[in-house]
Amino acid sequence: MKYDYDVCIVGSGAGGAPIAYELSHAGYKVLVLEKGKSFKEEDISKDELAVSRRDLFTPKLDEEKHIINDREKDGSITRYDGEEYSWSFWNGSMVGGSSNLMSGYFHRMKPNDFKLKSVFGEVKGANVVDWCINYEDLEHYYEKVERVVGVSGEVKKHSFLEPRSTAKFPHVKLEENKVTEWFDTACENLGFESISTPRAIISRSEGKRNACSYSNFCGSYACATGAKGSARAALLQKCSAEVRAESFVYKLESDVEKITAVYYYDKDLKSHAIKAKIFVLSAQAIESSRLLLNSKNKYFPHGMANNNGEVGKNLIFSAGGSGQGRFNFEDLTEKQRRELMQRGLFFNRSLQDWYEYEEKGKNFKGGTIDFLFEHANVISRASRELYNDKGELIWGKELQEKIKKQLTTSKVLSFEVFNDWLPTDACFVSVDAHEKDKFHMPVGVINLWGHPQDLKVGEHLAKNAVKVLKEMGAKDISYNISAAPPPNLVAGGCRFGEDAKTSVLDKNCKAHALENLYVTDASFMPTGGSVPYTWTIYANSFRVADEIKKVLQG
Amino acid sequence: MNTNKRTFLKTALFTTAFSLVSKGDVFASVTPLETLEVLQEDLFPHADNNASAYFSLILKHTKVSDASKKFLRNGAKWLNEEAINTYDAIYTKLSSQKRQKILQIIAKESWGESWLQTVLKYILEATLGDPIYGINKKESGWKWLAHESGQPRPTKVFL
Repeated sequence: MKYDYDVCIVGSGAGGAPIAYELSHAGYKVLVLEKGKSFKEEDISKDELAVSRRDLFTPKLDEEKHIINDREKDGSITRYDGEEYSWSFWNGSMVGGSSNLMSGYFHRMKPNDFKLKSVFGEVKGANVVDWCINYEDLEHYYEKVERVVGVSGEVKKHSFLEPRSTAKFPHVKLEENKVTEWFDTACENLGFESISTPRAIISRSEGKRNACSYSNFCGSYACATGAKGSARAALLQKCSAEVRAESFVYKLESDVEKITAVYYYDKDLKSHAIKAKIFVLSAQAIESSRLLLNSKNKYFPHGMANNNGEVGKNLIFSAGGSGQGRFNFEDLTEKQRRELMQRGLFFNRSLQDWYEYEEKGKNFKGGTIDFLFEHANVISRASRELYNDKGELIWGKELQEKIKKQLTTSKVLSFEVFNDWLPTDACFVSVDAHEKDKFHMPVGVINLWGHPQDLKVGEHLAKNAVKVLKEMGAKDISYNISAAPPPNLVAGGCRFGEDAKTSVLDKNCKAHALENLYVTDASFMPTGGSVPYTWTIYANSFRVADEIKKVLQG
Repeated sequence: MNTNKRTFLKTALFTTAFSLVSKGDVFASVTPLETLEVLQEDLFPHADNNASAYFSLILKHTKVSDASKKFLRNGAKWLNEEAINTYDAIYTKLSSQKRQKILQIIAKESWGESWLQTVLKYILEATLGDPIYGINKKESGWKWLAHESGQPRPTKVFL
């Protein structure tokens, strides 16, 4: 058979780019098909209207949407049309994927995250399993991500610090706001272990990438200096892999044992086929499952690699929620006010004191709390002031005075809780029988349910975060822990495992059922750890790249 | 996610310049933009935000859904209908005091609260968005809140 490429990768984000980087450097001919457009540093601005209000980097919901089936407490299902309810599960539809838009809070998973079932036991109603690799299998690749993608930070010993093969991060930590010292003091008073949060942002220039410029607009925005470790800036621009933007892959074709081609539409909706020795799917968890389910043939009548019915199952998100407290100028000294209003410097602090904890004699898997200043987006901040204390909509002078006071005489410190979203039978991806997108493909259906334990653990973490804010002197403290899924923190759907009956992928993320199909976005994760996923996606993708190299080398 | 406003759309008619009927006669004709121009002064008086022109931009924006545009237009129609029902005159012809009374009335209706919230958010966009869109003139909104925009600033508009 004549091949166009050695490797064809679907999706250019954190799951696909390490494969492209490694295999092109190894001399293989690699093609990356990316649905979104290409944006380089010179195309990037901090335009709040375009990025945050008009969704520059995500598709229009009247052209591409999801159906969301939300399971209510009584077990009934409420169906939401994503277009009708403006409920979007899209992230960064662009070269480099959503890694362009991440905040880059980088935490490794812990050794016990790889063996939740063995360590914490079964949880009723949840499909918790141990991973088929362990932390030691991935440590080398976590370290590789630190070097190749670039992670800055300061290693500080604490109760749940994961084993490291190197003593330091390759990049010194980013400059921090002075209020971190208030935080450290509060933690010391409470007996908590303050951690300097590692970031996938380089603190000194490296090759084509400039150091962080402290623009004050990081999360949700693409990086204009290349400091953020997006898959595009950190990997794709540093390798010879061909990246074809605005190429939407709509179908995989196969014989009984191999993928034979992928089919994609270009921006003019013209269809093309690509033949390659190996295909790698990394379109982000929901879309990867959807593509497999939409690729049916006589060998795989229920979707590619889905003869065991496992594709799309055990979808997970990051459970938890967020909270905040406000520091009012009237409660602060002049020096404290100046420290509070230092612009651009990071508030890189996390707590992992309760990564595991005991309650009423039972051990629980807990999680991570990241602290950060409220996003600098001014329209968003002003829009949060539309209601008075009685919950009534306000306007005119009353609204203007409230906005002025809140935005100029106080500052909000927020926290985000990350804990395990337990995998269950009720949370999965399917495709809709009727609704189609602009490419005439069935849209993805996101079937949602959060296990009650997710909320219980999230509450435990949030209450401890609140103690820190109180100790720091914050006012108006509030938090919200819910089963609402964060669309940018999604995993599962094609879990890996040793047993071909209960998993989609083998331990090398190759489909059990097909010789040349790999899935390397977060789909492979049977459980998600209690940290943002990106570092683990990058590390695992570098690991799989080594396995694919072995296959290609014969 | 806004669940309320969508339900209002299902029964709403879309018209460019809508005719309002009172006691069986065509009472007045007024465009949504004329209504929004007066309304933005009532909701958030700010000389330099150029909110009126911004509403025109929103009604043509490729990333604002047709449903949202219809809601913006239809809300203006319903506001005028409320004004006619209460004072026998369209909203733009009422005194400032009476217009505020109408706003207080519709803010208690679920459609009205949702619509006013939508309009206010667009006004805040006009007040605090980048001046490259013809809004926030001389960065007056940013100066008002001592806000420093992120760098780099946009060099072209996204419409």
